[in-house]
Amino acid sequence: MSLLTLDGVTRSFDGFKAINGLSFAIEPGELRAVIGPNGAGKTTMMDIVTGKTRPDGGSVRFDGHDMTKTDEAGSARLGIGRKFQKPTVFETHTVEDNLVLSLKDDRSVFGTLFSKTDHAARVADLLALIRLEDRRLDFAADLSHGQKQWLEIGMLLAQDPKLLLVDEPAAGMTDEETERTATLLRDLAGDHAIVVVEHDMEFVRQLDCKVTVLHQGSVLAEGALDAVSANEKVIEVYLGR
Amino acid sequence: MLTPAPLNRKRLLNTRGWTFLIVLAAIAVGVPYLNATGALPDYAVSLIGKYLCFALLAIALDLLWGYCGILSLGHGAFFALGGYAMGMHLMREIGDRGVYANPDLPDFMVFLNWQELPWFWWGFDLFWFAAVMALFVPGLLAFVFGWFAFRSRVTGVYLSIITQAMTYALMLAFFRNEMGFGGNNGLTDFKDVLGFDLQSQDTRIGLMVLSTLAVALGFLICRAVVISKAGKVIVGIRDSESRMRFLGYRVEGYKLFVFVLSAMLAGLAGALYTPQVGIINPGEFSPANSIEIVIWVAIGGRGTLVGAAIGAVLIAAAKTLLTGLYPEAWLFVLGGIFVFVTIFMPRGVLGAWDSMIDEMWHTRGMDPRERRLAA
Amino acid sequence: MVRVFRSLVIIAGLFQMMMLGPSYGQTSDEGTLRAEMARLAGADFDGIADVVTSLASIGDPEAAPLLRALRGGDIYWRKSDRLVVRAEKIPGRLLRLFDPLTGETLEDVKKRTIKKVKVNNTLRRSIDTALGTLTLRSPDRATRLDAAGQVFRNRDPATLPALDAALVDEADAQIAGIMRDARAAILLNDATADPAETRSAIERMVARGDPAARNILAGLDTRDPTLAAAAQDGIAAIDRSLRLWGYAQNIWQGLSLGSVLLLAAIGLAITFGVMGVINMAHGELVMIGAYTTFAVQEVIRASAPGLFDMSLFIAAPLAFLVAGLVGICIERGVVRFLYGRPLETLLATWGVSLILQQAVRSIFGPNNREVGNPSFMSGAFELGGLTITWNRLWIILFALAVFVFLLFVMKRTMLGLQMRAVTQNRAMAANMGIRTGWVDAMTFGLGAGIAGLAGVALSQIDNVSPNLGQSYIVDSFMVVVFGGAGNLWGALAGAFTLGIANKFLEPFSGAVLAKVLVLIFIILFIQKRPRGLFALKGRAVEG
Repeated sequence: MSLLTLDGVTRSFDGFKAINGLSFAIEPGELRAVIGPNGAGKTTMMDIVTGKTRPDGGSVRFDGHDMTKTDEAGSARLGIGRKFQKPTVFETHTVEDNLVLSLKDDRSVFGTLFSKTDHAARVADLLALIRLEDRRLDFAADLSHGQKQWLEIGMLLAQDPKLLLVDEPAAGMTDEETERTATLLRDLAGDHAIVVVEHDMEFVRQLDCKVTVLHQGSVLAEGALDAVSANEKVIEVYLGR
Repeated sequence: MLTPAPLNRKRLLNTRGWTFLIVLAAIAVGVPYLNATGALPDYAVSLIGKYLCFALLAIALDLLWGYCGILSLGHGAFFALGGYAMGMHLMREIGDRGVYANPDLPDFMVFLNWQELPWFWWGFDLFWFAAVMALFVPGLLAFVFGWFAFRSRVTGVYLSIITQAMTYALMLAFFRNEMGFGGNNGLTDFKDVLGFDLQSQDTRIGLMVLSTLAVALGFLICRAVVISKAGKVIVGIRDSESRMRFLGYRVEGYKLFVFVLSAMLAGLAGALYTPQVGIINPGEFSPANSIEIVIWVAIGGRGTLVGAAIGAVLIAAAKTLLTGLYPEAWLFVLGGIFVFVTIFMPRGVLGAWDSMIDEMWHTRGMDPRERRLAA
Repeated sequence: MVRVFRSLVIIAGLFQMMMLGPSYGQTSDEGTLRAEMARLAGADFDGIADVVTSLASIGDPEAAPLLRALRGGDIYWRKSDRLVVRAEKIPGRLLRLFDPLTGETLEDVKKRTIKKVKVNNTLRRSIDTALGTLTLRSPDRATRLDAAGQVFRNRDPATLPALDAALVDEADAQIAGIMRDARAAILLNDATADPAETRSAIERMVARGDPAARNILAGLDTRDPTLAAAAQDGIAAIDRSLRLWGYAQNIWQGLSLGSVLLLAAIGLAITFGVMGVINMAHGELVMIGAYTTFAVQEVIRASAPGLFDMSLFIAAPLAFLVAGLVGICIERGVVRFLYGRPLETLLATWGVSLILQQAVRSIFGPNNREVGNPSFMSGAFELGGLTITWNRLWIILFALAVFVFLLFVMKRTMLGLQMRAVTQNRAMAANMGIRTGWVDAMTFGLGAGIAGLAGVALSQIDNVSPNLGQSYIVDSFMVVVFGGAGNLWGALAGAFTLGIANKFLEPFSGAVLAKVLVLIFIILFIQKRPRGLFALKGRAVEG
């Protein structure tokens, strides 16, 4: 059974159909790249999956739950992690506190108020993974752009999500960082299903996974990158001919 | 070299917290002593008590604004509601010693030809009931208001403006005689509380000492919240609300918790304020009062709790001094402080102090992170 | 000689009649009046009532001063010769006596030498009726108008003959109309009246259609079932139309309140909506506009009183400039350091508002200042069942004019274009050579200038005091929040919706609770549409 299923999802803003009969499915542990020109509905698609935006019609099911009735916090609790294009971390918290807040734990007001959980071991693991051991007690605000990206990825991993939505992770990265990120995402796939929304075709090639092309709010083509790149329709709308 | 602490937990009381509590204790002991020796005039004792109420109010607002990023321009309303709850008890305590000598009805009701006590005055003859209401009513208002506002994700200046409208509406309502809270004149001419004569200096000293305890209690509660994991969530909400949501935290719940807690502390401050100044009237609801609270916090340094208390005392004392000496100048000075602090001292007095200390650590070649751990 | 004089008087009288239309006042000779008057000395209540009735039936307006004095308890009779006089208290515990008819001074006496002609409430009523009929024929139009109204209110069947007589001669259509109403009202008060006449009287009352007419119909006492039914139908018809007029009045008052809100909020719609700057000193800019109007009027009063009617036309552009300049100073001096920090901006501009308030208080004093209405702004007129005051009407028109002016500036001028460019993409606009700092200052100045114009209008309907701005700031923010920031049409819709909602709620809940209810409504509304009535939707605004 698929982990995430979108079926005939529509959503319009002031008459403009941002999402129009969108259907696709993600399997557990799968790595998937979603590409598409500006305004294809990529961001709205992620908003709908995470419960930030309610669809006008269609069904969104994740791991047996109806995602049209939940909110962002609900989707996160069900196991969806989302990484924004611009790194969003808690700037006035230390790196460690950023991770502590992300770890799986009681999320209720009174649960956190009286929380006594010791996270030291898990935090140490994560710090090693994102190579920020020596910045543990620094404020996130003092990190470099790339380090913030890594911190955010670390926070997502701390959530231990079943599905990771990653928005243009390569934006603003050096070639070396891009390559490292692609490697990381490939490594993570399997334990987590990952959907990468991306512009950069080179990066998508490095991911080496199944590709879904969005256009005007619905799926235009799906398959391996080479097959998709050869698709007439895709060439017409996406590759700018 | 930095040695990693085994647990990333801050202590409930750091150096600054201890200093603050010691200063409070010194006030609680020293002021009555100085008053007894005649070094401090009687009126100064009540004045200090009043400042302490303001300090508690500022701490309450700092928890909300400094840590959670919610700028309430209506905190005066919670303060005033607490004050009214206590004022209602004090009115009932007057009994038949009022001008009209009516044992059941406060003077203003007799004057308005009311025949019986309205239902919302029932129970206020009992001190414990009034004390509970002084916390409960502000808390309830904050809960209902916050539930609507936070659920609909009203944030930032929109929220500030709506809180201002809330206190404005309450002010208009309390000005009306028909509301049953004494209208324009408010509640005044109190005689005693729990059998202690409010005019006697001993009672005033008692109330002042009680106020220091309340400030200490409020500070400890806020501090406990701030250093807990919930405190980190709250600061996280201030920094990036959407990230907090996508991490699975129900932001509304946290905001509501902080808002209600802050409102109840403000109510406590109001309940202590009324017996010490001897009057509570609808002017306390005015939007200007609420904004003044914000400037206390801003000048002291938001997100520091102690700074908020310092700011409140500084500004309130300056107000007493200046309105006495140069009444015309006060608004110029206050207005100037608003502009100066927001432009040149965004982190307030304590914030500036912290930066200075950090600088000193640096020049001595030490790592300021070590200090931060203790803060 | 006497004869010549008399004929001159007659000619003068005829001339007067020709000039004024129909004849006024029956000529009765003064002797008859004096004979009746003399009977008041020592009379009991019945005797006085008798005198009043016969004075009324003589119908000479000359008797009016006597009756008025009688009603006021100022008629006495001299114990020495039973002469009836009018007396006034003068210093020295004395009373000065006058002739009640001519008003000629007689003498000053001690109180015990005269005796009062006492009247009770029953008498006062019949005196009112008598006065009504007497003055029905006064040469003065206003007096007749009053009298006709008086007769309508008293509905005394005894006045019917006098009324009928007066009606024949009445040339003024408005007065004649009221007289016919009065006639119908009297007939409906008279159980013995002819049914056909009563029926047409009912119709007349229905046509009149005001609450007084409704009361008259409701009080109709008749055995005739068809007449009773007609009266009931009439009441229902009046109720319907009264309700409609009531709504219309509410809407009018709502529009009036809305126009004030619009004026106060429209400048905010620019600074808050377009620039995202919370200007808490906005109210004080309104206040500055009002004080500019005051200053202009003071100068005009002192130097050129003839120009007073023009004062607003001079004050409006001046207020725009003064407030605009202050606004630009605020932007350059404070706000520009705080862009992107809305909460800090809010606090700093609040500080500015305190300074401005105290400055005005120090210069002009803490009390309300009197700003006069030019003649075209004073008074009112009736439109059907509506009472419309000129100042409210002009302010609505003024608000709309300012709105159109602003739309024009935003959509059709270079400044508007640059403003919108800077709002949408500051960096890009700067790259294209737009001086963003200058545009910021101008935008803020425009918003402030509009606030100044609002002040000119508000000075016409509200007290001009240093607190003027404070009383509008919360409402203006509500309008902008409700209408949706950044949209002028939103501000328009928001202002009028809130104004009308307020006025419709007021009758049920009182003014204060209406405000509170509107506030609760806005909070609930923001639940549904957090960005207001006219906000942009979708991704564009969530970035």
